[in-house]
Amino acid sequence: MSRKTVLFLLIGVVYLVLIAFGLTMVYSVGTPVAVKKPVITSPDNKISIAHTEIFGKLERPQVIFDHKKHEEASKQEGCTTCHPVNDKNKVLFDFPKKIKGKGEKAVMNAFHDQCIECHKKSAQENKKTGPVTCNDCHTKQLAKVGMKYPVVEFDFAYHDKHVKKLKEKIGKDDCGQCHHIYSLEEKKLTYKEGTEESCVYCHDLTAKRGPELTAITKVSAEKGLTIRKASHQQCINCHLEYQKKGDKETGPTECVKCHTGKYKTIVELEKVLRPDRKQKNISYIDVESSRLKGVTFDHKSHQTYAKNCRSCHHETLKACKECHSLTGKPEGNNINVANAYHDVSSGHSCTGCHNQIKAKKECAGCHHLIAPKQATCAVCHSGKKDQINLPKPFSTAGISQDKLKKEVEVKVLEKEFEPSKFPHLDIVNKLVKVSNDSRLATYFHRDIQTLCEGCHHQSTANAEAQKDTPPNCKNCHMTAYDKQNLNKVRLLSAYHRQCLGCHEKMELEKGRKCSECHKAKAGGPAEITRIKNDHVIKQNTTNIINVWRPK
Amino acid sequence: MDRRTFLKIFGSGVAGATTGNLLSPGRSFAKGDLSGQEFNGILVDTTRCIGCRRCEKACAEVNGLPIPDISESKNEDVLKEPRNTSDTQYTVITKYETEKGTIFVPKRCMHCNQPGCAAACLVKAMKKRPTGHVTWDSNCIGCRLCMISCPFDIPKFEYNKAMPRIQKCNLCYERFKKGELPGCVEACPTGALMSGSRRQILEEGKRRISDNPDKYVDHIYGEYEVGGTSHLYLSAVPFEQIGFRKDLGTVAYPEYSTGFLFAVPFIFVLWPLAMLGINRATKKSKEDEGHHEEHHNEKGKH
Repeated sequence: MSRKTVLFLLIGVVYLVLIAFGLTMVYSVGTPVAVKKPVITSPDNKISIAHTEIFGKLERPQVIFDHKKHEEASKQEGCTTCHPVNDKNKVLFDFPKKIKGKGEKAVMNAFHDQCIECHKKSAQENKKTGPVTCNDCHTKQLAKVGMKYPVVEFDFAYHDKHVKKLKEKIGKDDCGQCHHIYSLEEKKLTYKEGTEESCVYCHDLTAKRGPELTAITKVSAEKGLTIRKASHQQCINCHLEYQKKGDKETGPTECVKCHTGKYKTIVELEKVLRPDRKQKNISYIDVESSRLKGVTFDHKSHQTYAKNCRSCHHETLKACKECHSLTGKPEGNNINVANAYHDVSSGHSCTGCHNQIKAKKECAGCHHLIAPKQATCAVCHSGKKDQINLPKPFSTAGISQDKLKKEVEVKVLEKEFEPSKFPHLDIVNKLVKVSNDSRLATYFHRDIQTLCEGCHHQSTANAEAQKDTPPNCKNCHMTAYDKQNLNKVRLLSAYHRQCLGCHEKMELEKGRKCSECHKAKAGGPAEITRIKNDHVIKQNTTNIINVWRPK
Repeated sequence: MDRRTFLKIFGSGVAGATTGNLLSPGRSFAKGDLSGQEFNGILVDTTRCIGCRRCEKACAEVNGLPIPDISESKNEDVLKEPRNTSDTQYTVITKYETEKGTIFVPKRCMHCNQPGCAAACLVKAMKKRPTGHVTWDSNCIGCRLCMISCPFDIPKFEYNKAMPRIQKCNLCYERFKKGELPGCVEACPTGALMSGSRRQILEEGKRRISDNPDKYVDHIYGEYEVGGTSHLYLSAVPFEQIGFRKDLGTVAYPEYSTGFLFAVPFIFVLWPLAMLGINRATKKSKEDEGHHEEHHNEKGKH
C-alpha cells in the first residue's frame, strides 16, 4: 500500500467520524419545553422583588421581601421609613424613595442603597437587622416562583360597611371621602354629590375607553396612578389616619387582610344595600322616534343580580342613552342604542347578559336548542310606564292527565330492549321548579306552554295538523330515513339527541348510561350476539364485493 | 383530409389512449365524476357520537363478520385501549380524553376522491367507483401495495387465511346499489353519521360549523386532505387531538406519481423504437459495406 492510499483512507475515516459525531449532536439536542412558573397566590405578606419589566433576565435570584417583618421593625417611624410622602403629607406606596438618574443601574442602585443603608444603620444601633451581603437577600430558595396577591374585590358589602362606619365617625354622609372626579378644565380633582363613579373607570389603564375618559386616563397614566397604586394610596392612607387617631376599629394595613382571595357570590350580596346615588327604582326607557314601544326597566332588582355597577355601566355610571343615540355617537363608539341594548355578544347589553344566564346549566337544557321567537319583543317593549307585571308562578296541579301524561313508553328500539319509561310528569315538574326559581324565567316564560316548547320545539302547522298540542315527537320525526331530506333527524336520533343533549347541558348525572333507559330484553339480541360470537357466521357473503370468489 | 389519413390519426389516438390507460393504473377513475354521478360519502360528527358501538355491530351484520358484543360493560373495557381497524372490523370507535371531555371517533376507510390504494393497485382490484365508493375485487394478487399506499392505514390483509383477501370498508357498495343506506348510518342512534352525496354532506358540515361556531373547530377533515375524501369529519377539538394526521397535505397521493407514470408509456414505446431504428440504420449500412467488400473480393479472385 502506498503512502497516498493510507493518507486518503485516514482522511476518509476522519470524515466518517465527524459525520457520525455531527449527527449525534443534531439528534441529541433536546426540544425546548415550556416550563410553567409556579405561582403562589397566598404569599403570606411576602413580596417578590424581581422587576423583570425593567431588568429583563435577572442576574441573581429574585428577593423575597417579608413586608410584615419590616412593618413590625419600623413600627415607631411608620410607613415613611421606607415609603416617600407627597406634598399633602400622604404616603405614596412606592419603593425605593428616590431613584437618582435613569436606566437599569440607577434602579438597582436605589434598591440596594435604601435597603442596605437601613440595615447598616440599625446594626450600628445594635438592633436586630437584615442582611447586607448579596446572597442573604438574593437567596436561591423560591428563585423560580412567581408571587401574586389575589385581587381585592371591593364589593357592595364592603361599600355598605364603609358608608355606615364613616357616617358614625364623621356624623354625616360624605362620599367625597373616597370618591372624586378629575375635572379636565380646572385640571384638578373635584367632588360633587351624585356624580360618584367607580375607581376603575379612570384608574384602570389597561382598558380601552371612549374619548372623554381617555383624556382622563391619560392624566392618570402620566401620574402613574394605576388602579393598584391609586387604591393602595387611597385606602391605606385613610386607614392610617384613623390608626393615628387611636381608632381601634379601623381598616387593615397588612397585605393579606385585604388580599384575602375570598370573594362573595351574587347570592351572598343579594341582601346587602346598594350604594345610593339617587338612582330610580324603575326607569322607563323610551328612545325618541324609535319604532318599538318603551321598556319599563326594573333597575332596583337588576342591581341585585350584579356584583358591581360596572357589569352594565361599563364606562361611566351615566344612563345608556347619554352615549348611545339612535344613530350612534362617537362617545358611544358609534354603537347605536338598539345594539347597546341587544348586542348578543356583549356582557353589558340586556340581551347579551340574559343570554349568558340562559347558557347556565339550569336553563341550557332547553335553551341550547331553541332560537328566540319574534313575539318575545313585546315582553320587554310593553309601553306600560312605571308598571312591571311579574306573572304568577306556574303549577301543574290543575292540568288533566290526558294532556299532561304521567309516563310515556318509548318503543323505538323495541326489538332489542324493553320499552324505555320516560317520566314525563316528573320532568315537567322539575322544569316548572327551575322556571319558578328564577325571576328572569318567570318574567319571560309567561305561559306554562312555553315550558312544553323546551322539548316539543318548533310546533309547525304540519305537526299540529295531527291534533296533538303540543305535537308528539313522531308527528315530525319519522322512523325511517327521509331520502329526500337526509338532514332531517330520525325519530331514533331525535330521542337520543334531545334526552342526552339536555342531560349533558344541565349537567345531570342521571341518564348518561345506556342501561339507565334501556333494559336488556330476555332472549334479545344481546344474548343472541353472545351465542353467534362463538361461531363466526358467514351468511350473506355472496352479495358482498369484498369477498374472494373462486371463478 | 381523405379517408385514409383520418383513420390513421383517429386510430393512433385510440390506441394511444388505451395504452396510456393500461400502463398508468388508477388514472381512469381518479378524477371527478365522469358519468354525471356524484361521489357519495358520510359526514361524521364526532360531537354527537356517544360511543355505543352500534355502527360496529351493524357493520359486522351487513358484511358477515363476527358480531361484536356491544353491551355497556364490554364497551367500557374495549374502549380503554387505542383501536385500529382489522380484517374483521371495518369500523372501530376510539375514545379520546380531551379538554372538552370524552370524544368518540369512529374510524374507517376515508374513501379518498383520488385514492392512493387504487392508484397503487397493479391489477385494478382496488377501484374508485364513479359513485365514490372505493371497493376491492377478487382479482387481487395479494401484493399489498394498497396497504403501503394508504395514508390512513386502512386496507387490512387476512394473514391467517390460506386464500387471503384485502378487507376494508366499502361504504356498503352493494347496499348503495339497492338504494339502501350504509349499515352504520342506519344503526347510529344519535345521527352522528349522515350519508348523502359529498356535496350535500359538505354543505351540511359547513352549515353546522357556521351555526355553532363555539361548538366546532372551523375545519372539516377530509374536505381538502389528500385531495378530498368521501368521509368528512367534524370535531369540537383540533383534529390532531383525536387521532387525525395533520401532515398529509392537500395533494392527492396519485398526483405525486402521475407525472412519472405519464412518461412511462412513452419511454416504454418510444425508447425501444428509437433504439431499434438507430440499430437498424447502422446495421443496414454495415451490411451494405460488407456486401460491397464481398463483391470486391470476388472481383479480385477473378
